[in-house]
Amino acid sequence: MMSMFMGFDPRRAAKFAGLGLLILFLSWQHVQATRLGYQVESSRKRARQARSRVAGLRLTLDQTLSPSMLAARASSMGMVAAAPESLRVLSSGATDAHPSRPLLWARNVMSLVTPARS
Amino acid sequence: MDLGLRLTAAACLSLSPLAPLTARLAYLQIFKHDNLSVRAAGEFARTAQEATPRAELLDRKGRVLARSIPSWSCFVDKAMVKDPHAFAARLAPLLQIPAAEIERKTRAAQRFAWIKTHMGQAEFSALADARVEGLGLVPAQERVYPNGDLARSVLGLIGTEGRGLAGLELSQDSRLRGRARRLEVIRDGQGRTIYKNLTDAGDEPPALSLTIDRTTQYLAEEALKEGGEKRLFKEGLVAVQDPRNGEILAMAAWPPNPLRNSFVQDAFEPGSTFKVVTALAALESDLVRPDETFSGEAGKWQISPGVTITDHEPEADMTLAQILERSSNIGIAKVIERVGATRFYRLARAFGFGAKTGCPLPGESAGELKPLSDLTRVGLAASSYGYGLAISPLQMVGAYSAIANGGVLWEPKLLLDEKPPVKVRRVASQRAVQDIALMLEGVVEHGTATSARIPGYRVGGKTGTARKIDPLTRKYSSSAYTASFAGFLPASQPRWTILVVLHEPKGAYYGGLVAAPIFSRIGRRLLTLEGIAPDRPHDPALGTAQR
Repeated sequence: MMSMFMGFDPRRAAKFAGLGLLILFLSWQHVQATRLGYQVESSRKRARQARSRVAGLRLTLDQTLSPSMLAARASSMGMVAAAPESLRVLSSGATDAHPSRPLLWARNVMSLVTPARS
Repeated sequence: MDLGLRLTAAACLSLSPLAPLTARLAYLQIFKHDNLSVRAAGEFARTAQEATPRAELLDRKGRVLARSIPSWSCFVDKAMVKDPHAFAARLAPLLQIPAAEIERKTRAAQRFAWIKTHMGQAEFSALADARVEGLGLVPAQERVYPNGDLARSVLGLIGTEGRGLAGLELSQDSRLRGRARRLEVIRDGQGRTIYKNLTDAGDEPPALSLTIDRTTQYLAEEALKEGGEKRLFKEGLVAVQDPRNGEILAMAAWPPNPLRNSFVQDAFEPGSTFKVVTALAALESDLVRPDETFSGEAGKWQISPGVTITDHEPEADMTLAQILERSSNIGIAKVIERVGATRFYRLARAFGFGAKTGCPLPGESAGELKPLSDLTRVGLAASSYGYGLAISPLQMVGAYSAIANGGVLWEPKLLLDEKPPVKVRRVASQRAVQDIALMLEGVVEHGTATSARIPGYRVGGKTGTARKIDPLTRKYSSSAYTASFAGFLPASQPRWTILVVLHEPKGAYYGGLVAAPIFSRIGRRLLTLEGIAPDRPHDPALGTAQR
């Protein structure tokens, strides 16, 4: 036992140093894992916020393109719904995809003009 | 004494106080390991569930009718709130809620209380950054209907728990609702999340496409809304079906009510729109010749002692086509005497009256068709013009679709899936059905439904006006009516069958006066939108200016 305190054993010192390094490495790894965990969670939170923002924008888009909204805006711009008789056939031919549909229609512009609002 | 022995004794004496600690450590590590490790895990990790979004509901062209978006709810844990007044004052500007209301909720008897639900991202971020003690934040999914009340009687609604309460949200609930994600949340000593480990990815269901066409639905609702807002009727319904395959394109109701779908849940006495069944039964069995006439009895006919059938206009002799054009009760009652109860009943059943249609909406009514044994002479006569029986609007639109397509009854299709449309049966021969369809064109051309006409197009249909039963007296009311019109267009190649039903119209109450114009209005818009070429281009009503 006395020899333990009396001489320097390089092999033993190397073992202690290795052990110390291993503990340091494991500690560093643990700290890094925790730090990365926070970063991942923070990124997830940002992604969730972005998804939420996208969903909100999609909703706004859907609401803006809803028929009632479009009709109200068209009406405020003085537009009126076309009647079938205000369409004119320019070609009597039908396509293969739409046998019952003529190739081209044009609007009878005069019938769509709205009277001036009082 | 040997030095080694003395050192050993000294070491033993100095280490002996550690022996009980070692024993305790061994006990905890070996014998209590499982129990303690679970408790330790509970301190720093917990399992959480995250609701997956409910499936979208789309129209036939993929446009969104219902969608789920992320939202948040916040609650108060009163045990953690020391000063409710300060708590409320701090939250009020963040939540845009009066501080008094927050304080009232905080001071209520129960420990837990919702402060605000359906919060957006901005509110959530503001609250999360504020870190208010006693306030909890819970992620959720909010169901939104971007088109407002459009098709709400079809779509229905969901409850606060995210389960369907009515409409397709209810009937397709299991298909729309996903399985929640499960996460293991690792937290630090302060309760902040270090990491979330996904243990179950859950299940996000695919979107559900409907046969409803958003534009057609809007046109139908718009046509009803105008009269509804002016209180021209108490309740209005418009159904649009594709007669070629039974697909429902629109189901509009006024006033809109997401909790109730009157097309399938309600049944009504149809009145004269039902005369086509009687007329078809006669034609199918060759019981009436095209030129054969029936006496109109000058508008009054006593069918049995004490029972008189009347027409709104006194009529002379009429052919079957004229009976339909003038909507003569007396004429059609005489026709059914020749048809007989069995043939009439069999055809009514073939049209699907008195049976559920199979529509995937909850609470469908089968309607009511008197059993064959109960069809007396008077009862049969009443049934011939649509009294004494109850049908759902969906049954009626299906029946007119069968007439429009040449005699095939389709199951009403509301879900646009891979399943092909279901052909229920052929109700009558194509020849007889085509004859009836031509007669219905006559009704629109020069009968009771001239206001359903669309210049340049062939339109077929039939008006209906029925007295309603007064719930107090249980007799037919003299002031409450159901006005209806069922028709199809363009009659050369029908693309749409449209049913308009108005309950208790004010002022004018005849179907031809109040329901047919709505049909015409919707029909015109549909023809324009689809660019359907006129099937009667030389119609004088078109006028020279347009040609």
